Amino acid sequence: MFKDPDFLKKVKNQKVLILLSIPFVIYVLIFCYVPLFGWIMAFQKYKPKTGILHSEFVGLSNFKFLFTNANGMFINVIRNTVAMGLINLVLGTIFAIGFAILLSEFRFTTGKKVIQTISYLPHFLSMVIVTGIVYDVLRMENGMLNNFLTSIGAIDSNINWLAEPKYFWWICGFANLWKETGWNSIIYLAAITSINPDLYEAASIDGAGRLSRIWHITLPGLKPTIIILLIMNVGNVLNAGFEIQYMLGNGLVQEVSQTIDIYVLKYGIGKGNYSLGTAAGIFKSVVSIILIWASNFAAKRMGEESLY
Amino acid sequence: MAEIALEKKAKKAAEKTFESKSSMFSRRSTGDIVFDSINTVVLIVATFIVLYPLLNMVALSFNDGLDALRGGITIIPRKFTTKNYAEFLGKQTLPIALRVSVLRTVIGTLSSTFVTALLAYILSRKDFVFKKSLSLLYVATMYVSGGLIPVFLVYQQLGMTNSFSVYILPGMVSAWNMLVLRTYMNGLPDSLAESAMMDGAGHLTIFFKIILPLCMPVIATVSLFAAVGHWNSWFDAMLYNNTATNLTTLQFELQKMLSSVTNQNSNAETMKNATGASVTPTTMRAAATVITSLPIICLYPFLQRYFVAGLTIGGVKE
Amino acid sequence: MKNYKKVITFSMAALLVMGMVSCGGDSGSGDSDSGSGGSNAASSTESAGGATGEIKEFTAFHAVPGTEIDSDNEVQQIIAEKIGAKCKDTWLVGQTAAEAMGVRIAGGDYTDFVTAGAALPQMVDAGTAVAIDEYWDDYPNIKNFYTEAQWNAIKGEWDHVYLMPQFGKRYMYDTGTIHNDEAFWIQTRVLKDQDYPKLETLDEYFDCIEKFIEKHPTMEDGTPNIGYSILCEDWRYFCLENAPFFLDGYPNDGCCIVDETTHKAIDYNTTPTAKKYFKKLNEEYKKGIIDPETFTMNYDTYISKLSTGRVCGMCDQHWDFNDGELAIKQEALNKAELKGCTYVPQGIVIEKGIKERYHSDAALDVSNGITITTSCKDIPGAMKFINDLLDPEIHTLRNWGVKDVDYLVGEDGLFYRTQEMRDNAAQESYRNHHLCPYGYFPLYGGMALDGINACNPDNQPKEFYDSLSEEVKECLAAYNAETYTQLLNPSGENAPWYPMWSYSNNLTSDTDNGLAWANMAEVKHAQLPKVCMADDFDKAWDEYMNVYNSTADVQCFLDSLNVEIQRRIDVAEGKK
Repeated sequence: MFKDPDFLKKVKNQKVLILLSIPFVIYVLIFCYVPLFGWIMAFQKYKPKTGILHSEFVGLSNFKFLFTNANGMFINVIRNTVAMGLINLVLGTIFAIGFAILLSEFRFTTGKKVIQTISYLPHFLSMVIVTGIVYDVLRMENGMLNNFLTSIGAIDSNINWLAEPKYFWWICGFANLWKETGWNSIIYLAAITSINPDLYEAASIDGAGRLSRIWHITLPGLKPTIIILLIMNVGNVLNAGFEIQYMLGNGLVQEVSQTIDIYVLKYGIGKGNYSLGTAAGIFKSVVSIILIWASNFAAKRMGEESLY
Repeated sequence: MAEIALEKKAKKAAEKTFESKSSMFSRRSTGDIVFDSINTVVLIVATFIVLYPLLNMVALSFNDGLDALRGGITIIPRKFTTKNYAEFLGKQTLPIALRVSVLRTVIGTLSSTFVTALLAYILSRKDFVFKKSLSLLYVATMYVSGGLIPVFLVYQQLGMTNSFSVYILPGMVSAWNMLVLRTYMNGLPDSLAESAMMDGAGHLTIFFKIILPLCMPVIATVSLFAAVGHWNSWFDAMLYNNTATNLTTLQFELQKMLSSVTNQNSNAETMKNATGASVTPTTMRAAATVITSLPIICLYPFLQRYFVAGLTIGGVKE
Repeated sequence: MKNYKKVITFSMAALLVMGMVSCGGDSGSGDSDSGSGGSNAASSTESAGGATGEIKEFTAFHAVPGTEIDSDNEVQQIIAEKIGAKCKDTWLVGQTAAEAMGVRIAGGDYTDFVTAGAALPQMVDAGTAVAIDEYWDDYPNIKNFYTEAQWNAIKGEWDHVYLMPQFGKRYMYDTGTIHNDEAFWIQTRVLKDQDYPKLETLDEYFDCIEKFIEKHPTMEDGTPNIGYSILCEDWRYFCLENAPFFLDGYPNDGCCIVDETTHKAIDYNTTPTAKKYFKKLNEEYKKGIIDPETFTMNYDTYISKLSTGRVCGMCDQHWDFNDGELAIKQEALNKAELKGCTYVPQGIVIEKGIKERYHSDAALDVSNGITITTSCKDIPGAMKFINDLLDPEIHTLRNWGVKDVDYLVGEDGLFYRTQEMRDNAAQESYRNHHLCPYGYFPLYGGMALDGINACNPDNQPKEFYDSLSEEVKECLAAYNAETYTQLLNPSGENAPWYPMWSYSNNLTSDTDNGLAWANMAEVKHAQLPKVCMADDFDKAWDEYMNVYNSTADVQCFLDSLNVEIQRRIDVAEGKK
């Protein structure tokens, strides 16, 4: 960067922008980067008595422990986390976009507002309540889903949905969809408003139908937003969640229900082992950053909007 | 002089948008009708799926606690009572909690939306020399964290424990919101800012007079995100202001009730002694949830007009 | 040029604002009220030594879930006026105890009192716990609360006493009315239906339920009866997994069986009894006696099923399902059928002849208690506060409430309550606004200090009888009993090592034995339901044992228990 002969000249021209940036740099350093000194804990056997500065260093043994404890359970845990993270990412994006588009195409302004308001209400429920609702829907005895399937003759005897490992990821995925689709669609709705209406008009004059207008105008118009959100969310794949899996999970589906965060609770912070929790956190950060970097790189290569 | 001209330009463009929107659906073909019918059905079904559990919760909140234990309540209370609401509303800390929640939401949302928008503006300047490095610095914050204890120690050193500032400062600049804003700003035509520059406008003028007004839909979105985030957060109240009664928030009060159900890693022996820790009835949890969410839910319809008739000249970049 | 200046001013202002707000905590800026609220834990206590009549205000954090009482709580105010001090209790919210204490220890900033649980050793290490034995000479209620041997046990490896266990002190004797602990519970209607048989073994217990279900497959309204229900959500899965040591006739050590002659720890998970027990559950599951969705139930569902009166029996601790039983009692007022649906405890063992030990005396958990922290600015004041709370008058205020408001005194000096008073005490809002038990400060069990009444209403025999339904009275009479506890063997003397759970509960996963313990729990969570539901029990059991032994280093865990058992015996014998 400094080799650029114009660099100094540019700096001089942009001193206003640079001055404006300074507070932001200071802010982010203090609030986000200074606390990273805590990462030292991952390489220590941290004891509150000695604190972060003076605890005994143990090299990579916390990381080794992560991967070797209980016959390599952590690998299994990563698999579950990634699977549920991907389900959330893919379904979440598709449903939010779809819902936003359907809503924007809805003709009655009042109805539109009402539907939109209702759709985002579940976002405000705490997970305790959401899992309670999910549980009631899926219960074996008198569960809404079983009752419905029985009444249309799709099943003979009730299914214990929460006892089957094969359903668990999807249950969590759909619970998240139910809770967040309306909320996530807000951002796409806002983006749709930025699309030039002239384009629609021109298209309908050309005889394009609704679907074709959605396909050729709305979706391309949403592309920058979609891509940015996708890249950001790819980095969150390892944050597939904690509460929903913790509360809906049970012994029978344990092999597929445990996420990294649950594992950390069980073996790390819940058991007074802070170093392990930090090690898992670092692992997650590193993976996230790699994922972000890769997807950002890909986006740039394709000439799309990128994060940096 | 230049500023006024620019404002006029933007306004005119906005008016044009509005006109063309209204003329958009003047012709309806059979395809349109089919599409609309299907769309209506899908949306109504979706609404019902979302609405039923919510109504169920409201019904529960008006039902007698012991009776509700038996299950089987749908959308109408079986044994009606307003006791759940009375119990939660009777909490003495509630007025204080409500005030703190409102204060932090208002102050936090205004400051963070403004500051974040400014950062987004800086980073949306195409030729800014530090664009990439500063972006990276912020993008990374979404995925790295020092962890609970180090963050606590830093805030403690900054004197932010037992203080209102811990509600405002840490969330002041949100990388996520910044990216959302920046993406939108990138979508605005460069010509606007460029011509203003020619007319001698500085960055702050451009930011305030041109970019901000054009960004209203996304500003509304981001401030909604910020407001909801502020309203719903309780962890900071618990962690930093636990003993400061005057700094408690509504969500923290709610959480105190909910966490009796979900306390992780308890064990039978300590629970036996926890005489005060009887699980709060589902009905009271429902009532408390309704009360604590109601104010923030009302915010949305108010912001909605920015989505329905977007005040933008629209610039899809191809 | 004009704009340029603007920018500078603006950036400076922005910097200034950030700087100011970030230091705001010191000056109490920002919110006008934060000054008084930002108590810095001790600022309020600083003024304590001042003028007489002024009420000292302490703060406490207990690393357990709890309910915060209102700050204008009436009894709290009465107590404060009598002893010149009050304390604001705060509880665990949305965090684990280890996490909450970890932050406080790292930050070095505590409330005046702390119930630290497993984190206390770390606090002591960090030098932030106050040695109460250096102060207690002036506070007899504290010093004499435990015997010297007990204080020695509490001291453990340390040179000083850093904590005061709140529970486990019994005054005179237990009134023995309720059995709040674990047992195999059964509905009185089931027993009545079989003419009150004597149930001793697991087979007899399930036989009885099976016969009942055969005769009465449904409730009156047609909903099917459920023979047996097992709660196994999260930490509550003790309902499934810890029965084997009871079945073998051992008391609730929680994590192991301790052989009374060799003083060695035995893993109850792998005993022949354990296998028989799970085999029995497996059989009953296949017969449909056990609720088919039992292994996926969450706590709410478990309680809701219990509340409808459909569940004939289960193995649980009474406090865990008390809410469900309350709901049955309430509904029984409208629906006569439900009168026989409340539960009585049965001391079930695996084979005839084994003496059951379900009921134990309150155990002194030496690892859990209240600690005064170095953040407290008025240590003598804090000592006096605890001391005063143990005063007979105050103790009665804490446990019974206000005379003539919460209870009445009979001519014989016995306390009793009207139905209205009972209803009040059962109401959460009334409790929060009016009653102030200071439940996590030391208190007496057994009798109240007047020697006439029980320590609290639940243990008052007459109060207890009045609350019993006719059905239960009839059932108790059939077994020549007048109380629930009389259905079980009387509690024997607690062994010196009892209870071992006070050791295992505090293990951390960065030690080998703690890790083994965590892994054992992990495997049991996943495998036990499978074992119970398996078509081929023996195969599933072998599989379980395989995973169990290969995942957890059980021997390491048992070895550490053996060391601890010996240490406790030595302490009890005064060898240390």
